Amino acid sequence: MLVPTIGIEIHVELKSKKKVFSPSINNFNDDANTNVDVIDMGYPGSLPLLNKEVVNMALQAALAFNCQINQLMHFDRKNYFYPDLPKGYQITQKDTPIGFDGYVEIEVDGLKKKIGIERIHIEEDTCKSIHSNDKTYLNFNRAGVPLIEIVSKPEITNEKEAVAYIEAIREILLYLGISDVKIEEGSMRCDANVSLKEEDSSVFGTKVEVKNIGSISNVALSISYEIERQKALLMSNETIYEQTRRFDDKTRQTILMRTKETGNDYRYFPEPDIPYVNISEDHISSVKNNLPVLPNEYRIEYQALGLNNNYIKTLIGNIELNSYYRKFISKINPIICANIITGELLSYLNKNKLTIKDIVLSDEELIKLVNMIEEGTLSSKQLKEVLPILLETDDLLEDILEKQGIKQISNETQLNGIISKIVNANPSSIKDYKEGKDRAIKYLMGQIMKETKGQANPKLANDILVAILKEQ
Amino acid sequence: MSKYLDLSIIDINKKLKAKEIKPIDLINEVFERIGFNNLNAFITLNKEEAIKQALALENKEVDNLLFGIPIAIKDNIVTKNLKTTCASHMLDNFIPVYDATVVKKIKEKNMIIIGKTNMDEFAMGSTGETSYYKPAVNPWNNKKVPGGSSSGSAAAVCSRIVPLALGSDTGGSIRQPASFCGLVGLKPTYGRVSRYGLIAFASSLDQIGPMTRNVYENAALLNIISGEDDNDLTSSSNKVPDFTSYMHQDIKDLKVAIPNYYMSDQIDKDVRDNVTKIASMLTKQGVTIDYIDIDYLEYAIPLYQVIALGEASSNLARFDGIRYGHVTDSFTNTEELYQKSRAEGFGREVKRRIMIGSYILSGENADTYYDKALKVREALTNSFKQVFTKYDLIIGPTNTNVAYDLGIKSDDALKSFYDDLLTIPVNMAGLPAMSLPIGFNNEHLPIGLHIVGNYYDEGAIYKLASYIEKELDLSLNPGGDDLC
Repeated sequence: MLVPTIGIEIHVELKSKKKVFSPSINNFNDDANTNVDVIDMGYPGSLPLLNKEVVNMALQAALAFNCQINQLMHFDRKNYFYPDLPKGYQITQKDTPIGFDGYVEIEVDGLKKKIGIERIHIEEDTCKSIHSNDKTYLNFNRAGVPLIEIVSKPEITNEKEAVAYIEAIREILLYLGISDVKIEEGSMRCDANVSLKEEDSSVFGTKVEVKNIGSISNVALSISYEIERQKALLMSNETIYEQTRRFDDKTRQTILMRTKETGNDYRYFPEPDIPYVNISEDHISSVKNNLPVLPNEYRIEYQALGLNNNYIKTLIGNIELNSYYRKFISKINPIICANIITGELLSYLNKNKLTIKDIVLSDEELIKLVNMIEEGTLSSKQLKEVLPILLETDDLLEDILEKQGIKQISNETQLNGIISKIVNANPSSIKDYKEGKDRAIKYLMGQIMKETKGQANPKLANDILVAILKEQ
Repeated sequence: MSKYLDLSIIDINKKLKAKEIKPIDLINEVFERIGFNNLNAFITLNKEEAIKQALALENKEVDNLLFGIPIAIKDNIVTKNLKTTCASHMLDNFIPVYDATVVKKIKEKNMIIIGKTNMDEFAMGSTGETSYYKPAVNPWNNKKVPGGSSSGSAAAVCSRIVPLALGSDTGGSIRQPASFCGLVGLKPTYGRVSRYGLIAFASSLDQIGPMTRNVYENAALLNIISGEDDNDLTSSSNKVPDFTSYMHQDIKDLKVAIPNYYMSDQIDKDVRDNVTKIASMLTKQGVTIDYIDIDYLEYAIPLYQVIALGEASSNLARFDGIRYGHVTDSFTNTEELYQKSRAEGFGREVKRRIMIGSYILSGENADTYYDKALKVREALTNSFKQVFTKYDLIIGPTNTNVAYDLGIKSDDALKSFYDDLLTIPVNMAGLPAMSLPIGFNNEHLPIGLHIVGNYYDEGAIYKLASYIEKELDLSLNPGGDDLC
């Protein structure tokens, strides 16, 4: 049987203040060619600097991915000609990646698995070419933006694992706070290497690289497409050639970009302008000890609290929402709190294109909401009405409930009186109930809500109604 | 015609301080001398700016020894708003937007930049003949090469157009022309002087250094250009002493080694005899002189071809016609833009070296040649370190011979490397070394003594050099009287 072997290469832009080898501001989005100096332009006589912040960010990533660290590392030049490459070489790390031999843990269909990370290294981004009307424009704001490249071992066996792997990497980088990791905006770029081999063979098949896949869902689509394509070729005894392909969004197919010849000749050699970098044992331990809490630790905690997987996924996937959630975790019912935050609150934010940082909601009011829902004194329908008002005004919850006339009647004696009156006024419903017809309760509850202007505590009213009917 | 430029800078400084002369008098004299000479020492003159600056200095206090002193800069060191060509058609129109660190330092001392000196194209050559702007000639004999690649800097100082110049040395490009022109030329320890703004030939070997008429002025200029630079990660934080303080210190306890390899039959007999004379002079002063063997010296040229040319092929990749420099008139695609711009912009020697360098780094060659060369380089460095555990200095001839005729070597690629046989090992190890004039051959062409020091010990070189200079008291002005 043919089985797939998949390896993933991920390029991630780091959000250091300055570029990796120059003092220019690291912000691609400013006006084109404003964050540029002689180093980024590859100007004659200029020499690279080395941004320590970038080295530290890469070190954090390497440690978070459980990598070994190259304590004496250097940079290398990768030489090739391309208009977006100002010096005619890219400064990267070939022989001594800052991290090597690590792993991340993923979970697919309830099964946990470790995916090995072969290496993680620091390099510079190229400048951005924009093609328009037969002309090519270059934006050097991106030249020298720091990147880390994370290369997995070929230990991924299907598209689900591939997606879980990329999501795990993305989440960890998000929690380290070193990148925006937005695939759609290019701050995270994924390439997949896919090959097929006979299950019992130790020899890998010829690999095909699918480059620059634009979203996580396209990673799954392109890998499964590629697996099927290669399977079909092998079944009909055709040869697979080493190729670079891209995924086409519209046709949902991978399309040939180029056939690889005998390997590119990048004429690598050690970068003579940057001395070897020493990373001391002490420095490694101090970075390790100061790593933030990583997603897996949260996941374990939330599972223990009884949160369902959807809540967990939403919370961990949204770092700001998660840190908001954590303010309340020990103060109130964590499940109801997660329900409100990942449900009503998040959909309000999404609808209004806001983030949690944009809204004013005092902690006390949210705590009151959670507690009222737990006590059954506020229905989810009422929550839906109240929440936007809470978010858009400075009013206290009590005042809103008052103003909106949202007030629950939970007084048993009061409800008893109202319900008895209604039951007595509807003898036909009593008859229906005795004959086992469902509509009786529905009708009577409607009458109760009408009478109380919807303020009867629905659960309590239902219980009382059933009790009264049984007595008839 | 005045002859202030034949005075030592100490005397010029006294006259400036005493207001006997003004900086403009020096500048006028410089441009008069350039007019009289047909040395082709300069590619670009900075006349207007230099005059303006000299006049502005009249209102300033003469606050340092080099105040108002004219200096020439090799044309591979970038100067803001002053054309910097590397003697290449590629950069024929290139006006830098920033100053090299050494240029900044020179301007801070209110020295006056006279112009940019001729050189071998991209510093690739040892005769000055690969220049796009025609070769500079040797002031001692206009049919001879001045040496290279810092050919124009050597010719300008030798002919007393300027008292001081900056050169750069990748395999001997300061020392060899200094030796051919009878100057004091120093390649400092790798890292002593910032390379920021030096258009790179071979980054791990290149070093900027002073080319001067005498030892004291050499030390004075090194004082100014040395020091750690935040813009050059390979520059050293090592403390910079006052190099002039080493002049005329007692030399009798010095231990000096002469490598047998430096005195072999490959070296011209006149040259060897002159070195031997110096050795016996020093022995009489109580200096210990031993003839020794240094392992791996003989691999210098192949090492240079692999490492320097490998690095050069990468360093020169940026000249692609897109952002600066020569761009071809017409092209239909990017590939053609590259090919034509580079084919038209670079000269023969540069192309040859880029091709060799690219080949060396290509595919498996990188292991066969480059990685192996790095190992041999380390071994050579270690043998030097070994020598310096026992000796303060190494001496020998700077070159295998004296200045030769223009034209004879320009078509022999290997022969031109061979010129640097004795100087390249020093760049490979990153050590400091000087060429000091010690006499003339029977054609009255200067002979240079090579003095190699331990890392960051340029002081010991100056100590020995100042003694020899004083003892020999040579007349080193091709025009006659020597007043400096």
